[in-house]
Amino acid sequence: MSQHHTITALVQNEAGTINRLVSMFRRRGISLASFNAGDCEQDGYSRLTMVVDGDETLLHQTVRQLEKLIDVVEVEDLSQEHSLSRELALIRVDCEESQRTPVYNLVNEFYAKTPRSTPQSLFVEFAGATPEVERLLTALEPYSIGEIVRTGVVAMGTESNL
Amino acid sequence: MRSGARIVMEALVREGVDTIFGYPGGVVLPLYDEMLNWPQVKHILVRHEQGAAHMADGYARVTNGVGVCLATSGPGATNLVTGIANAMMDSIPLVAITGNVNSWAIGKDAFQETDIQGITIPITKHNYLVTNVDDLPGVLAEAFYLANTGRKGPVLVDIPKDVFIAKTDAPFPTVVARRGYTIPGAPPKSQIDEVIKLIAESERPVIIAGQGILASGSSDLLKELAEKAHIPVINSLLGLGNFPRTHELSLGMMGMHGEAAATMAVQEADLVMGVGIRFDDRLTGDTKTFAPKAKIVHFDLDPSEVGKTVSPIAWVVGDLKLALESLVPQVEPKRHDAWVSQVKNWQARYPLHVPEGKFLSRTVLRALNEHTQGTAIVATDVGQHQMWTAQFYKIQQPYNWISSGGLGTMGFGFPAAMGAKCARPDDEVWAVVGDGGFQMTLQELQTAVEYGINVKICLLNNGYLGMVRQWQELFYDNRYSHVAMGSPDYGKLADAYGVRFFRCSRTEDLEETLKEAREHKGPVLCEFVVEMEENVYPMVPAGTNNSNVIMDPELPKQTAGANK
Ligand SMILES: Cc1ncc(C[n+]2csc(CCOP(=O)(O)OP(=O)(O)O)c2C)c(N)n1
Ligand SMILES: [Mg+2]
Repeated sequence: MSQHHTITALVQNEAGTINRLVSMFRRRGISLASFNAGDCEQDGYSRLTMVVDGDETLLHQTVRQLEKLIDVVEVEDLSQEHSLSRELALIRVDCEESQRTPVYNLVNEFYAKTPRSTPQSLFVEFAGATPEVERLLTALEPYSIGEIVRTGVVAMGTESNL
Repeated sequence: MRSGARIVMEALVREGVDTIFGYPGGVVLPLYDEMLNWPQVKHILVRHEQGAAHMADGYARVTNGVGVCLATSGPGATNLVTGIANAMMDSIPLVAITGNVNSWAIGKDAFQETDIQGITIPITKHNYLVTNVDDLPGVLAEAFYLANTGRKGPVLVDIPKDVFIAKTDAPFPTVVARRGYTIPGAPPKSQIDEVIKLIAESERPVIIAGQGILASGSSDLLKELAEKAHIPVINSLLGLGNFPRTHELSLGMMGMHGEAAATMAVQEADLVMGVGIRFDDRLTGDTKTFAPKAKIVHFDLDPSEVGKTVSPIAWVVGDLKLALESLVPQVEPKRHDAWVSQVKNWQARYPLHVPEGKFLSRTVLRALNEHTQGTAIVATDVGQHQMWTAQFYKIQQPYNWISSGGLGTMGFGFPAAMGAKCARPDDEVWAVVGDGGFQMTLQELQTAVEYGINVKICLLNNGYLGMVRQWQELFYDNRYSHVAMGSPDYGKLADAYGVRFFRCSRTEDLEETLKEAREHKGPVLCEFVVEMEENVYPMVPAGTNNSNVIMDPELPKQTAGANK
């Protein structure tokens, strides 16, 4: 059964590291729903969060192929229960200042933020699990969404390392 | 303080490399200058960088060590690409060193700049762009280490010109360790125990033994296992040589053009032990119908191979030698007389067949095998002649067989044979090539002559891209599209290069030709003008059921009865 799987990897930062990882996904036809890289608690290393679409066999292959890459130090397959996963969305809602009350209501309901506003647009910032982000986007739809930027998922295990 | 160029030479000496294969150019000038100070490292100047990569590959295969090739930036580096991909597909340890433009010019489309690191990411085990000379000793030590440990493979080190010139005191590391890279060790005992049980329970077991046996140096253990538990041994194309081909338990190669008895044995077996193979599609045919009656066990040191193409019920993941060292003493001695005699029966009924009265590629290869008793090193090119050599040349010893399996690279055979001869100058080395593939890299004849690389070339000239012609005959209704291929006058060509030449087109002359070719001290080109439209059998059409082996239609009637 095809579904989203979240994988994290600790990688050594070298020339070409990201290229090498992405190349592996492309070459083996594994589709990436999201890919995130950033500094982590260890100098010279990055931690990546990747979401792949596919069945268990594909997930297994992906993990094995990632582990084979020399710059990859460790790979973790995060099951839903024992992980924390978040993404950040910036949403530009193009509505007149006079009509923003319902938008602010939604912002409050979701504990979102509005870091900026202009006469034409209200900028909404929201961090949450992917289904929450989807829910907010659906709720904002009637108020004319001008642009959406999402970071994709970052995730970490909550039990496995103990 | 010493220069980056000197560090490269120091690294070669530290790694015990006595021969490298390369071609100079602008950005590697500092290295070529330094090379003059290091007579202990022999440099073979090739005629095309692809040849350098294939020579390093052949050198690696016959020594079970690392081969080294060297090229300049841009076109020099890109000319290596086919050879690197070839080594990757066959897990051959190669270190490819390329020069690049000065580090400050990288990314500015400088003259002869090419992103060889980016280009070779999917075809190397790992690669480096070294922009700081202080990193160079560590990178080179690591490159050799990565190439030749774990699942072996090619590693490329790209070095900008200024890094060859820059100086450093940075020492070579005393130990190479890389976080997150572990060399697989002994497999868990539970996995070995499971296999012992499966062998004990089996009635019709087979072993399919591949290159992993060679890479891990386990040929003797394989033989012990087969004899102790009385299990027939089949080879993948690259595994040839890991088990003596004249051993009574040897069934030869299986798969698309494998021997019928070997392929049939797997289809009938109740236990299939894949040992150091990757169940490649040329071997399995349609995986859904592969070994339908068998429990499959997979021995591999690379966990990503397990379950990649077939679904084993048990696996042994780890160092193959350690696995066999633990398995062999514990296996119960057994006899499978009924099974082995059934398999022998198939062998007798569906033998490899050489029709008499014609001058065929098979006639030549059978004779070559008889002359050398299967003891020469043989490198093949790619095509029909490759399959016939795998079938008829009964390789006796490990590390004597060189063939491009995964990539199927035409043009590989002759330079690979040269690399092998450089590595083992006292051994007889034959390159078996077709007229198509030979014309891809024959410029290396000059290299062979200049350095006195004494390889014997068995050129099977059928006037066709034979393997493609065969598919057009069988699957495209005899419509030959661009497969008839002309050749130069090879006698004149050999003369021009100063290579000893023989042309043979009759069975009567075969003995004399082979005898003289073998006796001649120096490179020899033997052109065998063979039957043009000869087909390779048995055959399992690509991606179909291995149970439907197409037998040689020319098999004598009393044996060909079961032609399905
Ligand atoms: C570089 C490359 N190009 C094309 C092919 C496809 N191919 C496979 S076998 C073959 C024919 C080889 O002809 P020849 O070298 O004469 O050998 P023969 O089959 O006649 O023995 C071709 C074109 C290949 N394997 N490698
Ligand atoms: Mg030919």
